[in-house]
Amino acid sequence: MLFFSRDAPIQHTMTTPASAASAIATGIGWRHPHYGELLQSLPELDFIEVHSENFFGAGGAALAVLQQARAHYAVSLHSVGLALGSAAGIDAWHLDQLAQLVERIEPVRVSDHACFARGTLATGQNVHAADLLPVPFNAAALSVMCANIQQVQDRLKRPLLVENLSAYIPLKNSDRSETDFLTALAARSGCSLLVDVNNIYVNALNERLAGGTIDAVLSCVQWLDQIPPHAVGELHVAGHVNCGDVVIDDHGSRVCSEVWTLYRHAQQRFGGVPTLVEWDTDIAPLAVLLAEAAQARA
Amino acid sequence: MSTQAVCSDLADSAADPLGLAALLRDQSRLLQSLFAGGDAAQLLAGLHSDGKRVALAQRGLQAYRANAGALAQRALSAAYPVLTELMGDESFAPLARYFWQHAPPQRGDVAQWGAALPDFLEGAPQLANEPFLGDIARVEWALHAAATAQDAVTDAASFALLASTDPAQTTLSLSDGATTMASAYPVVSIIHAHLHGTPTLAQAGALLGAGTAQHALVWRRGLKPEVRLASATEHALVQALQAGVSLDAALTLACGVDSDGHAPVFDFSDWLAQAAQTGLVTGARLLCTTESTSKQPKNNPKKDTP
Repeated sequence: MLFFSRDAPIQHTMTTPASAASAIATGIGWRHPHYGELLQSLPELDFIEVHSENFFGAGGAALAVLQQARAHYAVSLHSVGLALGSAAGIDAWHLDQLAQLVERIEPVRVSDHACFARGTLATGQNVHAADLLPVPFNAAALSVMCANIQQVQDRLKRPLLVENLSAYIPLKNSDRSETDFLTALAARSGCSLLVDVNNIYVNALNERLAGGTIDAVLSCVQWLDQIPPHAVGELHVAGHVNCGDVVIDDHGSRVCSEVWTLYRHAQQRFGGVPTLVEWDTDIAPLAVLLAEAAQARA
Repeated sequence: MSTQAVCSDLADSAADPLGLAALLRDQSRLLQSLFAGGDAAQLLAGLHSDGKRVALAQRGLQAYRANAGALAQRALSAAYPVLTELMGDESFAPLARYFWQHAPPQRGDVAQWGAALPDFLEGAPQLANEPFLGDIARVEWALHAAATAQDAVTDAASFALLASTDPAQTTLSLSDGATTMASAYPVVSIIHAHLHGTPTLAQAGALLGAGTAQHALVWRRGLKPEVRLASATEHALVQALQAGVSLDAALTLACGVDSDGHAPVFDFSDWLAQAAQTGLVTGARLLCTTESTSKQPKNNPKKDTP
């Protein structure tokens, strides 16, 4: 039995809203280089996002600084390690840690990815790849991911948001489109979708490298139009790097113009959902992230 | 029933209309390819027959492996900053990648990965000439673990118990994450030289050359993990207190006469004042009856405070 129905509202506890009620709630990924500056300057933001795993543990400085930030901002907990698509299941320790953090921080949203990472090697050794590995879009992966999401939602007593991947290995044994898979995932599990617009674009660019899509932007628009508007609870935008033979979603630069175009289309379709600007490598000055967030809000 | 149990059952079952067993197998195969570098050709042949897609998949695998290698180095460097400096990037980077493949992470929080590195270093023939690296890594892992330990809450009023209660019925509470270690090497001096510059690297090197042994005490001072030199007596006292014995028994153990017939000089009052002030000791508490009897060390049955 699902703990939450599809229509369950996402909790909002914004403390220092930057925008009027009609504007798009916008936040930035809050990473270590900006811990002090953000707490000192307290710029206007609707929320900040952190990677949950960076704040696991019973106590310590990292958790203390997050609790300090929580006094000023709504916090979105974005996890990277639940590995929701793993046929090996969810790590109970990981879920315990996340549940503890959720209880402490009372986040505005909790999210993770439509990926797998856990499994067993030929030696019998259990491993976690510490990466966001792709799953095929088929009935088996859908069944596994729904069961795992349900387990997480039941434990956290709140709906999860699940993000589409940038995937670098095209899996053959898919029997449906990614959008059909994600739509069914939301409907069956009660989760919301976190649509990463940059990931869609990166996948389209790589598909073009593989001899598929010709018009990357058009294919992304079609992707977005296949997702039911009510299923989406958040958007992500970020930068990527084109290595020539592959495009990598490295979150290390400004959002490109094509992704902004797609973002505008997504906001029109999904109705002004909260948006996060991600920046995780070669992290730019805080002012640059805030400028990107302002562009997302405008 | 967990997903894992379901999939394991189905792996041996013909009744698997969804193909869960195939999913489990394919996921294991991809992990095998990423960690063991094995059978990428078979994996890729199973993905697509189209040449451009195989090329992209090969490049994708390479990207995942490169990301893992970089992550391994970042994660271990964060937990082992002194070890990283001692070995230098050119040695530490391949070490991190090798360790990732041979002792892969099992948790989705990469900060949990690396506890086995000290034993791994001591077993590596290439590092046989630097046997102190294992103990350096042990102290660094203790600091890493202490960083996320439960925040200490000092119960100052509880220290009144020490004046009013039989020390055989009381003990001291230590902060979470506190640990002590006896090393045959000057581990504290080496770590302080690298992290704080005192002593100098040359002085720490001289201690290493002279065969100096040290006891290291790791604990959290507020939010900051710290390591300092401990005496053999303090090392024994902390170990005994962490074993849950009474204060009386712990002091008896720590201040016992050594093999040469010497008893150490140890001012417990001074030690306690400093330990409480710096957050190592967070309070005193009564032992419950079963605790005080069942955990008494067998070689120290006496109850009198030395």
